[in-house]
Amino acid sequence: MMSDQGTGQAMDVVKRSKAHEGPRNHIIAYALSIVLTALAFLVIYYQHVLESWFVYGFLIILAVVQAVVQGVFWMHLKDRGHLQQRIFMIGGCIIAFTALIMALYWVWW
Amino acid sequence: MSDAHVQGNTLPRELEKATLEGRNKILGFWLFLGAETVLFGSLFATFLALRDSVMDGPAESELFKLSMVAVATFILLTSSLTSVMAIQAMHRHNLKSLMQWLIVTVVLGFAFLGLEIYEFKEYVHEGHGFTTSAFSSAFYTLVGFHGAHVVFGVVWISIIIGQLRTRGLNVVTAPKVYVAGLYWHFVDLVWVFIFTVVYLMGKVG
Repeated sequence: MMSDQGTGQAMDVVKRSKAHEGPRNHIIAYALSIVLTALAFLVIYYQHVLESWFVYGFLIILAVVQAVVQGVFWMHLKDRGHLQQRIFMIGGCIIAFTALIMALYWVWW
Repeated sequence: MSDAHVQGNTLPRELEKATLEGRNKILGFWLFLGAETVLFGSLFATFLALRDSVMDGPAESELFKLSMVAVATFILLTSSLTSVMAIQAMHRHNLKSLMQWLIVTVVLGFAFLGLEIYEFKEYVHEGHGFTTSAFSSAFYTLVGFHGAHVVFGVVWISIIIGQLRTRGLNVVTAPKVYVAGLYWHFVDLVWVFIFTVVYLMGKVG
């Protein structure tokens, strides 16, 4: 069924097969995401004893950490050969961040 | 399915990257995800700029119910894990397990959508329509756009499940599964920022 494309990749296959990974990392990423989410809700629950700048800052840090954890483990951004992927995503984030600054500058100042 | 098992030893583990076409599809999809980041970034920027412009409509802190948001977050997060499990099953060339995990993902996606529809209905009931205020328009555009992505995702993954059933797992179907998995993770990632920026920060102060 697929023998016509098989031979050329044979070497590649041998090289890749040793990089076999189980579900362990993915379950750890899931557990981490749950913990980070729970922490975010907890901060809101206790916000009356916290400074508001701390609440905002902490929430943003939690969200960014969770985004990085999921991007690195679930979307494989940490893997070799993902340089272009990283450039695309970081480029997108930079433009998105610029749009954010622009909108806030226009409306609030 | 038996086909995949018989050939399991000769097939590359990462079937989605076995052909140049498959690798190009995945790379191109990442470019699309970069563009999606810009799109959602603009919607977040609009929302943040207009979140206090409530006019006579309800404000965020009186509108949102965090318990429902927590459940929706948990559902979407779990569906992201089940789509990872689907990709793992695909790397083991286990078509049956792959399809089962994809079905679980789609079911969780529908559960999330059900909650969101219920939530929006409730808000409209409380006088928070699309045109009520600048805040309400920005809210529905941002959260609704994410919901539309979930709708597209469940339809897309359902179609792929159908293709896997009729065509099996091969170098043509594998990149489709992988790319849909990436999309689903991205949708979950956007939700992380929505529940943080829209819902939780709406409750601060």
